[in-house]
Amino acid sequence: MAAVRRYDILDTPPDAAFNRVAAMAVRLFDVPAASVTIVDTDRIWFKATYGLDGVTEIGRKPGLCASAVLRAGILVVPDTLDDPAARANPLVTGPTGARFYAGAPITTADGHRLGTVNILDTRPRSITETDAQILADLAAMVMDTLELRLAALRRLRQEQERRKEQEQARAQAERDKLMLAAYAATLQRTLLPPVLPTVPGMELACHYQTASTLDVGGDFYDVFPLGSGRWAFFLGDVCGKGSEAAAVTSLTRYTLREAAQHHHDPKDVLAALNSALLLDPATGSRFCTCVFGTLDPDPRGGYTVAVATGGHPPLFHLQPDGDGHLLVESVLPPGGMLVGALPEAHFASLTLRLALGHSLLLYTDGLTEARRRDGSMLGEHGVAAFLASRTTTAAAVLVEDTVALIASLHQQTSDDIAILALSVPPRPPHAPPAGAPTSRSTDTP
Amino acid sequence: MTGNLTMTVQHTGDLALIAVSGEIDVVTAASLRVGALEVIENGCPRLVLDLGRVTFCDSSGFNALINILRSARNADGSLALTAVPDRLARMLELTGVGPLLATYPAAPITP
Repeated sequence: MAAVRRYDILDTPPDAAFNRVAAMAVRLFDVPAASVTIVDTDRIWFKATYGLDGVTEIGRKPGLCASAVLRAGILVVPDTLDDPAARANPLVTGPTGARFYAGAPITTADGHRLGTVNILDTRPRSITETDAQILADLAAMVMDTLELRLAALRRLRQEQERRKEQEQARAQAERDKLMLAAYAATLQRTLLPPVLPTVPGMELACHYQTASTLDVGGDFYDVFPLGSGRWAFFLGDVCGKGSEAAAVTSLTRYTLREAAQHHHDPKDVLAALNSALLLDPATGSRFCTCVFGTLDPDPRGGYTVAVATGGHPPLFHLQPDGDGHLLVESVLPPGGMLVGALPEAHFASLTLRLALGHSLLLYTDGLTEARRRDGSMLGEHGVAAFLASRTTTAAAVLVEDTVALIASLHQQTSDDIAILALSVPPRPPHAPPAGAPTSRSTDTP
Repeated sequence: MTGNLTMTVQHTGDLALIAVSGEIDVVTAASLRVGALEVIENGCPRLVLDLGRVTFCDSSGFNALINILRSARNADGSLALTAVPDRLARMLELTGVGPLLATYPAAPITP
């Protein structure tokens, strides 16, 4: 019975291939009825019939099909009334009134008999050896069809299983991706200050966007207190992008914060970073460009800024030009080299006065290398000209306008961009602001 | 914005002259680096990069040059540049690396 179940044929809808076998048997042997049956545990089920209207199954009474399926060869009953077992069969006693029966077993390659191909007549008769062989061939044809059907069924099931596995794998990949993205977002939060601090008498604003879809980049910045009313700030860019750059970014941030406690002059802080990056074996061939500066409160208002750069594009010192727009000055201490690339690197610092109404704008080269519609890069001059056309030095407005400028460019930027603005309001505020306004977005193109 | 980059290498004495043409950007910079490092690893750490046919070079290209410089120096070699594009010259100046590289207005060696 396991063999019958394997072929999964019981109670399936009529099938033209099997019907044709029954019809062929009727014509070949010139009999009124023929059938293809499958034997179940308690019944004989008719897969195909010809001339046996209304018969779909009969019990496993011995005599005809039930006996034929038990034999290796063909069963021939020339006259059912002469056969004690066949005489009681419903096909004989019932409306069919079978007097002649011949049945060939449908046998699998491994010797299991699944059912029979039968011919019936209402008159007694005999068949020749050749006819018996033809009936056996018809049974073999049925077996071939069943094998083909099983092979197709198996392929279908395998295909369904494969599709199911693929869907499961896809769902798993999707879950992994979400988890990785969440992980990267958490890591990124450790690489960036969650919010800029409130620096007395100063407004701060920043913008950060990464080219990576995981939102982890090689740009970094921070503003933090040094004690006694002094503050430090930095902004930089690790060469490269993605997770490797992010690891160097992390080392750079912590080294700068630490070095700022030990060195007063910004150029010494960059020299310490240079040594740290060269010593760290994990850094490999990575290096960075960086601006590092300190803020000392000026008794006249505003701050005195000491700043050193290492291979970084100039920062911009902005102040009102008296005609409603801004005066833009590039600030670049001469000779500051890339940080972490070469042991003999040297750095330089300079000081400037950030008076009332002045501001400083720091950026990474993602801004100056952003491309216009015609493919040309914005460049330092392009950024400086844009800033000169602004009407206020307020940090939040400057950052907001610059972000709008990037967004207006035709080409999506392929680099990370960080912008940090520090501005001193034109008049000392009567009351300190409740918190430094910050604009922060993490757009991923 | 991603153009093609081609490199042809010629050896003259113990110098390797690498003529670079095309765009050096975030996509092609790696092939420049890999190509130059191969020349160094093959025993020729004295490189001259002819950039006369470079139509574009951004910070990725600059980063590649710094990596090549470091590899050349680690192998007791050197890196010289000829026909440096304006923007790259500005980056060399900004980063203070310019003095470490010999630069020439045009190829010093005519093959």
